[in-house]
Amino acid sequence: MRRRDLIELAYETLRLHRLRTGLTLAAIAIGVTAVLLLSALGDAAKAYVVREFAGVGSNLVIVVPGRIETSGMPAQGGTTRDLTLEDTEALERRAPAVRRAAPMSMGTGPIEYGGRSRDIRVLGSTSIFIEVRKLALTSGRFLPAGDPRQGDRVVVIGQKVARELFQGENPLGKLVRIAQWRFRVIGVLAPKGISIGIDYDDLVIVPVAVGLKMFDQTSLFRILSEAVSPAVVPAAQDQVKAILKERHDDDEDFTLITQNAMLKTFGAVIDALTAGLAGIAAISLAVAGIGIMNVMLVSVSERSNEVGLLKALGARRRQILEVFLAEALMLSSGGALIGIIVGLIAIAVAAGIWTFIPLRPSYGWMALVMVLAIVFGVTFGLMPARRAASLNAADALRGRH
Amino acid sequence: MSAPEPTVRTADGDVIRLEHVSRVYQVGESEVRALDDVSLTITRGELTALMGPSGSGKSTMLNVLGCLDTPTSGAYILEGEAVQSLSEDRLAEVRQKRIGFIFQSYHLVGRMTAARNVELPLIFAGVEPRVRREKVRVALESVGLAHRIQHRPDQLSGGERQRVAIARAMVMEPSILLADEPTGNLDARSGEEIVALLERLNRGGLTIVLVTHDPRVASHARRVLRMRDGQIVEE
Repeated sequence: MRRRDLIELAYETLRLHRLRTGLTLAAIAIGVTAVLLLSALGDAAKAYVVREFAGVGSNLVIVVPGRIETSGMPAQGGTTRDLTLEDTEALERRAPAVRRAAPMSMGTGPIEYGGRSRDIRVLGSTSIFIEVRKLALTSGRFLPAGDPRQGDRVVVIGQKVARELFQGENPLGKLVRIAQWRFRVIGVLAPKGISIGIDYDDLVIVPVAVGLKMFDQTSLFRILSEAVSPAVVPAAQDQVKAILKERHDDDEDFTLITQNAMLKTFGAVIDALTAGLAGIAAISLAVAGIGIMNVMLVSVSERSNEVGLLKALGARRRQILEVFLAEALMLSSGGALIGIIVGLIAIAVAAGIWTFIPLRPSYGWMALVMVLAIVFGVTFGLMPARRAASLNAADALRGRH
Repeated sequence: MSAPEPTVRTADGDVIRLEHVSRVYQVGESEVRALDDVSLTITRGELTALMGPSGSGKSTMLNVLGCLDTPTSGAYILEGEAVQSLSEDRLAEVRQKRIGFIFQSYHLVGRMTAARNVELPLIFAGVEPRVRREKVRVALESVGLAHRIQHRPDQLSGGERQRVAIARAMVMEPSILLADEPTGNLDARSGEEIVALLERLNRGGLTIVLVTHDPRVASHARRVLRMRDGQIVEE
């Protein structure tokens, strides 16, 4: 039988049962649209996170006190030694791949000015922090250079703090009270927003020695060590590890974080999430596949007479099989095509509404979903088609089957 | 299959030869011998009527002759070829090329026009569309329905429907036409027209076996076989 005749025969039947055909097409299209939409959302989330982490700086090796296993649970046994300013200095001095290292303390306390008060994150560091973290100032200056163990009572404040606390007043030179300590404002940060969980618009930065003392801390929150170039980050990582291990009685009681490692971890999490979303969507596709099977079974039992006739006219078993399979395939691939078109429109509309999410249709997913639809069409169409092909012609003609 | 395979081709004149053919159905515990050791020869160009009460084995006989059913034992030689043990696909090919069927209830496909219905066997035989159109036109013209080509079955009278069915049966130019109560659903006049059409085809050399209850239809046949309990009891 010619392929064109096969398609025509299948089309004639599908056209006759418009409602049934339409509903089946819709079921498949919904499944396909869901797969496309959810996978696009997953991909977009990943792109979003990648963009965020790119802000970490590709040449940073971040030291965190305590051993953090990839499982997220602290390791068993052993005590965690403090991460100190001496550690920071040792890294700067002894690790050739490390250009400079910025200590970082962190605490939270009330900030007061002119009768207004609120809680604020207090980040302690040194003069190089502005370069290591790639921050900028809108006015004033950053922390002065000098011995990190000393520190004046000066503070650089974030955009939001400046706006809310000073309300149009020029904050430079003003005295504020932070956690009962008096500071003079020497600079205002340019807007940066949130970067790796820290909102640089809503914090204040003080000299690290003062920061530690204010909150009675002995350990740093982080050490940000900057590699000479992105290419030597692995070497810097090894050196930082060796130096700190030596200083900590040969105990690896700290964790190193790099942009690459973070991207990898979060990428894996989001990939799993995307796969989960796509899996849920695929279930709706499978349900649609069962819908195809149901429609085809009804079609076969309605048309057993016709199958008997075709057999009497000399149709081979294989030809009958092909006629019914062609119908199932046209339903599934037609539904998939409609689903892809609707999905593309939906993604375009969503991308127009939520401009901050990089929503983009994925050709990979489109190809996959098309292949899936065809596979479902064949697998779910095969059983009813087989049933039709194996009908006994004499019985089928007499309406017994 | 205990029947001996015939090694000699039958004479050219014999279109159908049944040799000790039985068809046994298993119904629950009991056996039903729908055909019981039937032997029969039909020569080319014969118009044979098959009569008998229901349950006498007429339909089974027609199914076996039409290769829709295979004998449990015995040999069926169709135009010199033993077909009783052919594979399903080979039997389909035999039906396609040598056998035309018409039925009491016409068995036209309701969603298709007269032309499309007649085209069906050609489609499954893989005939080219251009050739198909011509053959369909000729077939419908020869049954006097040239003006009804684009009508669907529900727009045709019973007699017209049966004529479409005859055109469909004849479009592959078979050597045998098997007709199962072809006038059973028709009024007297339409029935006579169909019988006249069958006679005309028969005069052209077509071998016809027709099952009927109607003695007037049977009277047109030169040969009348009566069946009872799976056997031919009278000729």
